[in-house]
Amino acid sequence: MLITGANRGLGLDFVRRLAPEGWQIHACCRNPANATDLQALAEQHDVTRHALDVADFNQIDALKKTLGDTPIDVLFNNAGIMETIQRTLSLDHTNQMFDTLDEDEWMAVMRVNTMAPMRMCEVFVDNVAASERKQMLMMSSIVGSIGSNATGRWYHYATSKTALNMVMRSLAADLKDRGITVMSLHPGWTQTDMGGPSAALTIDESVGGMVEVVKALTPADSGRFIGWNGEDVPW
Amino acid sequence: MPTILITGANRGIGLESARQFAADGWSVHGCCRKPDAASALTAIDGVSVHALDVTDFASVDRLAQQITDPIDVLLNNAGQSPRPSLEFGRMDYDLWAKLFTVNTQAPFKMIEAFHDHLRRSDRRVVANVSSLMGSIADTSRGIVPYRSTKAALNMVTKALSGDLARDKIVIFSVHPGWVRTDMGGPIATVSPEDSAAGIKKVIENAGADANGQFFNWTGETLPW
Repeated sequence: MLITGANRGLGLDFVRRLAPEGWQIHACCRNPANATDLQALAEQHDVTRHALDVADFNQIDALKKTLGDTPIDVLFNNAGIMETIQRTLSLDHTNQMFDTLDEDEWMAVMRVNTMAPMRMCEVFVDNVAASERKQMLMMSSIVGSIGSNATGRWYHYATSKTALNMVMRSLAADLKDRGITVMSLHPGWTQTDMGGPSAALTIDESVGGMVEVVKALTPADSGRFIGWNGEDVPW
Repeated sequence: MPTILITGANRGIGLESARQFAADGWSVHGCCRKPDAASALTAIDGVSVHALDVTDFASVDRLAQQITDPIDVLLNNAGQSPRPSLEFGRMDYDLWAKLFTVNTQAPFKMIEAFHDHLRRSDRRVVANVSSLMGSIADTSRGIVPYRSTKAALNMVTKALSGDLARDKIVIFSVHPGWVRTDMGGPIATVSPEDSAAGIKKVIENAGADANGQFFNWTGETLPW
């Protein structure tokens, strides 16, 4: 597995669960030197750390050079941001409210949450096609579900995840002939740095559920948007 | 006499909409990048023509200061085409970003800038010209950057429907059909006249229950 944003939160917990099961994991994050939890896992398991800021496409190309033709069973686009400043998913995101458009900030969120996953899939498609499982996963969110949204708020984040779901759907169609399964996950509102301490789910509950979903995936699931609880999320 | 503001009014569906609303007695503000080159638009009686590049947000703000009338209907029609289609493996991320600015951010900016004009009007309608290509449920292969910007526009429509309901403003997305315009090409199935007439009807029929919806130009709702 190659996973982005693996130093904390949901990404780290995926590594924590799968590494002891014998998965070989390429764990990417912006600053591996500061990722002490990931370092501890790397000392015990087959976990290789890579420095990767997904917004910097040259770094994606450099990672491709490092990995060469290594087959990648699961390419997991987990890295994502609420905004370029790190804050939790509180209800007072004044910079993502109507009447306060910040187009540069919005574009920065789009680049990390929507364009970077596409770039990762473009660069590593042959590695995935050369593997046994042939899966590409997108960490999306119900916040990006148009059908579920009736409140406004978090415009940058919401639109970026909607657009990511569209990327996922198009890739599922484009890459079907190569046997690649592409899908989006909704983690639930989880107690991560992004979700905040008052979120409904523990990381353990969220990732525990998502691991079950991922392990049960078949090519017939390509193009689906599935929640941590196994239920489909509306577009 | 109701007032409509139309972006991208120099050609295609925007131009035809300007013609039909003006012919029906509406006061029309027709916006385009180069009014000097928009002879078909300037020739229509009852249309005030404004120079506007919707991606230049400072000029959007300036226009909102210049126009003092209430705006009954904001028709966010300006958009950038799906070509080149940028297939998988040949993405152009700078072009994708540009499409996002034109197709998603600019309509949002227009709504912010003309929020007060809408609030002061009788009808209070925002129509975002989206596309069935932005329907996630309907997706087939390719053309991801364009599709993603229209899907994101649909999210803007839906999410804003909550914020704007406080001011009794009705906002919806509308798919214009596959129209014989510069964007749609000559073999498209719908004439600009029919498409604009359909969109006009959707706008005129838009009651409170139209808020946050995605309509076909023929009036049925479309899936997200």
